[in-house]
Amino acid sequence: MDTKNLLEIRNLNVDFKTPRGRVHALREVSFNAPKGKIVGIVGESGSGKSTVIWAMTQLLAGNGVVEGGEIYFNGKNVLDFSEDELRAFRGEEASIVFQDPMTSQIPVLSYSQQMSDIAYRQRNKSFREKIEHSKQIMRKVGIPDTEQRVYQYPHQFSGGMRQRAGIAMALLMNPLMLIGDEPTTALDVTMEAQIIHLLRSLQEELKSTVMIVSHNLGLIAELCDEVVVMYAGEVVEQGGIRQIFHNAKHPYTQALLECDPARVSNRARFLPTIPGDLPDLHIRPNGCVFAPRCKYALQRCEQDRPETYVIEGTHNTKCHLLDSSRDQFGTSSTIERQVSKTETYDSSLKNIIDFEKPPILNVENLNVRFEIMGPLQALLRRNRKRFVDAVLDVSLHLRQGETLGLVGESGSGKTTLGRAILGLVPSSRGSVEFDGRLLTDLSESVLRNLRQDMAMMFQDPIGSLSPRKTVGALIAEPFSLHRKDKKNLEEEARKLCDMVNLPHSFLNRYPHELSGGQARRVGVARALALEPKLIIADEPTAGLDVSVQGEVLNLMRDLQARRKLSYLIVTHNLPVIRHICDRLAIMYLGRIVEQGNGEMIFQKPAHPYTEALVHGVPQPDPDKRRNLVSIEGEVPSLTNRPSGCEFHNRCKYVQEKCKTLMPQEKVLPDGRTVQCHFPLIN
Amino acid sequence: MLHMIPGDPVSIALGPRATPEIQAAYAAKMHLDKPLIYQFLIFMGNVLQGDLGADVFSDRSVTTTMAEQLPFTVTLAVSAIGWAALVGIPLGCLSALKPNTWLDRFTGVLSVGTIAIPSFLVSIWAILLFSVTLRWMPVIGAGESGNILDQVHHLILPAFAVGLGWVGYLARMVRASMLEVMGENYIRSARAFGLRSRTIIFRYALKVAILPTITLIGIGFGSLLSGAVFAEIIFSRPGIGKLIYDMVLSRNFPVIQGAVLVTVGLYVFVTLIADLVVSWLDPRVRDSL
Repeated sequence: MDTKNLLEIRNLNVDFKTPRGRVHALREVSFNAPKGKIVGIVGESGSGKSTVIWAMTQLLAGNGVVEGGEIYFNGKNVLDFSEDELRAFRGEEASIVFQDPMTSQIPVLSYSQQMSDIAYRQRNKSFREKIEHSKQIMRKVGIPDTEQRVYQYPHQFSGGMRQRAGIAMALLMNPLMLIGDEPTTALDVTMEAQIIHLLRSLQEELKSTVMIVSHNLGLIAELCDEVVVMYAGEVVEQGGIRQIFHNAKHPYTQALLECDPARVSNRARFLPTIPGDLPDLHIRPNGCVFAPRCKYALQRCEQDRPETYVIEGTHNTKCHLLDSSRDQFGTSSTIERQVSKTETYDSSLKNIIDFEKPPILNVENLNVRFEIMGPLQALLRRNRKRFVDAVLDVSLHLRQGETLGLVGESGSGKTTLGRAILGLVPSSRGSVEFDGRLLTDLSESVLRNLRQDMAMMFQDPIGSLSPRKTVGALIAEPFSLHRKDKKNLEEEARKLCDMVNLPHSFLNRYPHELSGGQARRVGVARALALEPKLIIADEPTAGLDVSVQGEVLNLMRDLQARRKLSYLIVTHNLPVIRHICDRLAIMYLGRIVEQGNGEMIFQKPAHPYTEALVHGVPQPDPDKRRNLVSIEGEVPSLTNRPSGCEFHNRCKYVQEKCKTLMPQEKVLPDGRTVQCHFPLIN
Repeated sequence: MLHMIPGDPVSIALGPRATPEIQAAYAAKMHLDKPLIYQFLIFMGNVLQGDLGADVFSDRSVTTTMAEQLPFTVTLAVSAIGWAALVGIPLGCLSALKPNTWLDRFTGVLSVGTIAIPSFLVSIWAILLFSVTLRWMPVIGAGESGNILDQVHHLILPAFAVGLGWVGYLARMVRASMLEVMGENYIRSARAFGLRSRTIIFRYALKVAILPTITLIGIGFGSLLSGAVFAEIIFSRPGIGKLIYDMVLSRNFPVIQGAVLVTVGLYVFVTLIADLVVSWLDPRVRDSL
């Protein structure tokens, strides 16, 4: 054990017992966490990155077993700890910030209770002293009004504040190591940036050791000093942040970096993907675990397990291609980083937007208003608003073959707008015109017929599929719903399967047997079944790994080119939307604050909010770290809209006029519309 | 409903030998000649003034009868649900904490068993065993008024018989919600912060898991108010259930109406209390009120 390492994991093996046999979830995992450094563990879902944390804190799920290895923490092997030693270790020496602050904090206890519970070991402190200490820590992580807020419950905190409280709880016992398990995954981009900034400044101040587990390459690049790359339960490569991000040697690391949409700077091409699926870990792989998906795979990769090759200092990788002793396979220079030859975006597809015809979708001044309390309740508590405006005076249009991206943080009303366009949510004012017909006046039965031409792709790919139906039945469902008597439903289902590149063998499977990407493809097939003209896609890539995101987006794009589809894509994920959208509309508090050509908006945002969103995306490049948080504060509540320009309280260019006067919509010379008194470009 | 059962209220009240004139006068006095909806409105108006009408035979006020009978039923319901909760909740808790052990299996069998056996059967067996064979418990009545010990003695068997099924219900309910809560993320995070398992189980898990059980207890108490009828008949205890049973047999409409109304009112009241307790324990519910 090296004294400059706080944590040393040696040959850790973890199995999970399942009805189908043992899953070898971690195999020979070894890495170090040097004192005072931030170590990132990066990998896609199924890589075993979270299992490392749970094995280290001895909190594996009931069917998990550590099959071998050592975990040295501060010189002692955690695996030898007694139950009492473990309890002291958890929270006092290593403390975790959890992924989802919504579900990882108990809803029925206030923060003061939760924090004094954690501090139960400080027997010499009174309850009052513990609360004082909690307030102090809460102030440190940037929670305002701690005097009152410490007595509040988790549901009274907003998402970002709740994660700050989670960090405060983890810091309470002043642990030697702070572990972040996907600490920003459940948050919006602007919140994510704030939390990254907070974690970094806390680490600098406390000089503690931090371990961050994430699938988000941008987060890792912004925050970490050392990186461990995991794939299917193995560490495939590790090293310093620049060694990994600028000089990756393992084909998986290279492919992963390439897939990240935030890294791909050129818009006009298909997104790279990693074809294939994770291997079945019920069987211990013989050769390299990545070999079946590796584009450089040699015969040897399938048969022999690769050793660890040291490249330089701590940078090492497990890949046969780096074996300098080999001869007939060529030299290791062949795998020097090369831009993959993914098909470039076919220029003939570029002009499918039909500018001749009138727009297929035309939304004018649409408003959606929700009742938040009944008239009696409103009467009982006076001066509270009964309604909230989820969508306010939204106008947009979409041409045939065009893709419009609707972007905003959670609570911006983007999903509601999508549903209101389809008539799934009643609109209170304004009009929606689709294919020359005014939808807002139509009766439900006429509307239902029209919905054949407008399809919806839902956010939760598996949750929106009925678990009791086979994929074949699900794909054919739209036909029976709209009483379309297709003579051969199976034939139709097979055709749709081909269209979304799903093997026919999947037709007899059930939704729970599908991976995230496969479930998405079923969703696309369902949306396409009735040959619609418009598809409204709600977060089409949410919950997908970067290597699969590209696959879904490429498919959508390909289908658009072939069938002249129009897409309205609702998302909070800016890097992804950049590669697929022709135009963007940015929403804030139910209004569209900027709308126009997507690439122009990305290059030069005109509205300060757009700028904050664009700059809020962490770049997967350690040389592009941001020193300033682009936007402070949180999205205000819809019941309490700020006066004047509704963004003024978070805007860094705010002026007196903004606080009182609501800006009118301006048309910029390049055709963009923007609602701002002082647009950032003229 | 009652109007569909054969038996005219007037001829029952006045007997078979009453003349048509007397019958007509009585019907007019009781508003029985008016349409049904009108009768109902008059009745509701009276109820709001605390008047539940009068017994057809004795002319006693129904309100007084209710005030006499209600305490017996309420005591029975409270003690039945009370012992069921005291046994069922810990049982469910323990079996959830040690799933698939002998204790869990035992609780499972016990729950299904107690839920399946009807309470009148339990009553009869209990009488056979404890009163006839062992001669420990009295068989009938509610005990001498004023003698608390004697009343408690008389309460034990009926409360046991009525509450037994609820032991099973509550144990199952608590076990299910406890298992669910123990799998929640916040229990894992409490472990990861190194809290003692005592704190985690009693302060964290139980506080959330008990919420649906409280609602269930409220509903259970309400349904026992009228559901205790079997026990009340078998043990010949006074109470609302027995009262309704007797009065239905004799077609004593005003008493039935009053008893049903009081039971329903109590049911609503108890469920409301249960919901208020839940909102007191759960801040999320409290804030949405």
